[in-house]
Amino acid sequence: MRGGIIFIELYGMDKKLINEFEMILGKDRVLSETEELLCYSYDATSKDFMPDAVVFPLNAEEISKIVKLCLKYNNTPIVGRGSGSGFSGGSLPLKGGVVVSFTKMNRILELDEENMFVTIEPGVINADLKSYLSEKGYFYPPDPASYEFSTIGGNVAECSGGPAAVKYGVTKDYVAALEVITGEGEIIYTGSKTVKNVSGYNLTQLFTGSEGTLGLFSKIMLKILSKPEANSLILVSFNDINNGFNAAISLLKLRNRPSMLEFMDKSSIESVKSIFKSDIIKITGNFLFIIEADGSKEEVTKSINEYKNILEEFSPVFLFASEKSEDKKVIMDARKAVSPSLRKYGDLKINNDIAVPINKIPDMLPFLEETSKKYGIPIINFGHFGDGNIHVNIMLDKSNAEMVEKGGKAKYDVLKKTVELGGSLSGEHGIGLEKKEFMKLKYDDYYMNLLKNIKKVFDPQNIINPGKIF
Amino acid sequence: MSSENKTYLNCVHCGKCLPVCPSYNIGFNEFLSPRGRVRIVLTDYTDSLPLKAGKVQESMSLCLMCGRCEKVCPNDVNLVELVANEKIKLEEFTNKSFSSDKLALNILKNKREILLKTALKIANIPFVKKLSGRNSPMPEGKSFIGKRDLIFNADTSLEKSPSPSLKNGKAIRQSAVEDDKNIFKVGYFSGCVFNGIYPQISIDTVASLTKNGVEVFVPKMQGCCGLPFISSGGLKSFKELAVNNALAFKGKKLDYIVTSCASCSYSINKLYPKYFNENDENYTEILDFSKKLISIWSFFNQLKKNGFEIKKGKLDNEAEAVFHIPCHLSNMPDFKPATVYEKLIGEPGLIADKIEGLKLKPLRYNYCCGNGGMFNVGHYELSKKITKRKFEEIKEAAPQEILTSCSGCLFSLKDQSGILKHNQSIPVNHLIGIYARSLRS
Repeated sequence: MRGGIIFIELYGMDKKLINEFEMILGKDRVLSETEELLCYSYDATSKDFMPDAVVFPLNAEEISKIVKLCLKYNNTPIVGRGSGSGFSGGSLPLKGGVVVSFTKMNRILELDEENMFVTIEPGVINADLKSYLSEKGYFYPPDPASYEFSTIGGNVAECSGGPAAVKYGVTKDYVAALEVITGEGEIIYTGSKTVKNVSGYNLTQLFTGSEGTLGLFSKIMLKILSKPEANSLILVSFNDINNGFNAAISLLKLRNRPSMLEFMDKSSIESVKSIFKSDIIKITGNFLFIIEADGSKEEVTKSINEYKNILEEFSPVFLFASEKSEDKKVIMDARKAVSPSLRKYGDLKINNDIAVPINKIPDMLPFLEETSKKYGIPIINFGHFGDGNIHVNIMLDKSNAEMVEKGGKAKYDVLKKTVELGGSLSGEHGIGLEKKEFMKLKYDDYYMNLLKNIKKVFDPQNIINPGKIF
Repeated sequence: MSSENKTYLNCVHCGKCLPVCPSYNIGFNEFLSPRGRVRIVLTDYTDSLPLKAGKVQESMSLCLMCGRCEKVCPNDVNLVELVANEKIKLEEFTNKSFSSDKLALNILKNKREILLKTALKIANIPFVKKLSGRNSPMPEGKSFIGKRDLIFNADTSLEKSPSPSLKNGKAIRQSAVEDDKNIFKVGYFSGCVFNGIYPQISIDTVASLTKNGVEVFVPKMQGCCGLPFISSGGLKSFKELAVNNALAFKGKKLDYIVTSCASCSYSINKLYPKYFNENDENYTEILDFSKKLISIWSFFNQLKKNGFEIKKGKLDNEAEAVFHIPCHLSNMPDFKPATVYEKLIGEPGLIADKIEGLKLKPLRYNYCCGNGGMFNVGHYELSKKITKRKFEEIKEAAPQEILTSCSGCLFSLKDQSGILKHNQSIPVNHLIGIYARSLRS
């Protein structure tokens, strides 16, 4: 059993509230049977909380009515949910109540080709938006690992990022405007179809990454770019970690910096070695990078040559570059093989997504190795070099209570060190339930109270995703 | 439960299975999603909450058992087996005495082909069709397998048209080259649909094999592969059918047993070994049969590997087509696509390459056809919704012909092939049918 199922006492929702939901939405857009609710009690963390009802609205007006009904009925908690693929528990109904599923709100509403903005509903899958835009010659860069199944609404709530962040930034860099329903059930519009916008506080960016605690999105307007014509990959590895670090830093200083700069440290190279088989590339060395250049065909060729020349100066043990799509697939497969390869180390993964200033990566990686030795538990690290975002995977055996306890201590040490190095507790997953106890490592009471007061302004009755972040 | 499956414990609820699941995509409700089903079954196994059998059944019965989720699952959860086991458990628990599914299944199991055909013909009478609100496949000709075993000699001559006697199902010839090591001898497993409803596909399959110098043996004892039974929780019947099929081919010196139906190969390759163990009487026979059975495409791949030149054919009229890859069709693990068509559709591309005048166009998603075996019988309206989405990508490709290689897909695609243009349906065929046609020209 996965870590024991935790069922908190059901919130005990008033049956009348469910009837009222059915009046507004129709019976087929309200779920309230145990068997159905079970399917909304989880996300990609290993925690479970049962909701009392699940509703599927289709527009802002319906969401507003849902919120107002929840206020009327004993301030029933409301939690927004996209694909439920988060890693921090953002979509879990911690205190029961209503899950608002956005999966039926999945239309692309407007593509403004002149101003280069796209307006969508929150339930659109990231990959679907990417392919829609790609056909029309446009590009939406943020690419969390879950992009094939996570929704844009969830991406905006958690301010997701991915490999493309090194050149293109993260979700918040693309959100231009939002339609939001506040904790009072009011519909507000933030932002505008302009790049420049200084009219009052920047609420758009406040909502982005607010982990669904300030309101529910019903429309999202995103900035889009023209699609790069081509891209190409390099796989390179170094024995000396400092050489690898200096090589990567040199690439970041270029005007044509890489569009992806992923790394694997010694632990993940070891992990992948045994399961990854390829005739063309070798997984070797102590510090490995997967580097992508994008742009026009000429730019890509030029960048790749330039990158290769720079990398060669730092004596790599292996360097492979290719523009062929088959080879590119093999290289990306090597990167994708990390996650499944972790399973052999344990059936319980404590998945951290710390971010440190780039120049602290050479301090952090040896510290992680020491921590692994100190507690005698495997810690496997890989991530996005260009933004200092390291996925620190503490691998444990669920049935071994002593080991699980050690894992908790290791997590504490890692997060403490992260803060000491001037880093962030979470780069792209969010705090949610998973890391809220560690917020005090970074912030004092005064700061935490500021955050809580901001929430109160939007959600005075504390009904929108209560119990998250703090 | 007959098969031990603990892979559901590996499910981390990441959500990767959601966009590929045809059942989830009907209404984006997780109650009908792969990971939702894992959650329900886990709760049932651990008894951590009281569940209503009817609701559990609803979720399970709306699974098409297409296995698309298994293909993307990073943690190798065997969803199909998990759902099948739950269905078996529910079937034993509820033990419904009568249902329309059961009637259909009984007819299938007892090989009452005349009954099956009569039932289908009645279902196709306009008045009955209107009453039931559904379309049913119309049997196309006499059954392929008759009262005797059939043997078809390797026929290397391309000059001859396919032996006319073959069409009558009467061609019984003793092999003249019984011990010739240079000739592949294969068994042919037709499956119930390509025997009773679309017999031409069996004729075309055998003709394609013999024209490539392969000798084909067709035992009369074979029957349904059992997939409709296991997907309705009928484990006992499934196992009886499996044993019957394994014994039908037992002791014949065959290099392979070939089938043209993707669902049959899925059932026999993937599911047979899971529901038999050493305590079962015919365990060895089942394993032998399961190992020997391969898809027609994998067989041609083997022929090629053994240095045989696959015969080329030419179509009289050029055709632009799409190939719908059945969910249940899988390539041999060591298959490395080399040509454009192999990259597009996998192993069947090997044969598509041999048909001059056939131009394959890509499908954007290669979405599920919506058939799902008994799913189509029990949930016709929902099945149609999935098929309609399939036709959106077909419409985009605008083919003159739709090709596939699975009996279930043929049912649903033929059923809905008229939805794009009023009164004008796109022909739906098995790729082997086009290949056989090209060899005849």
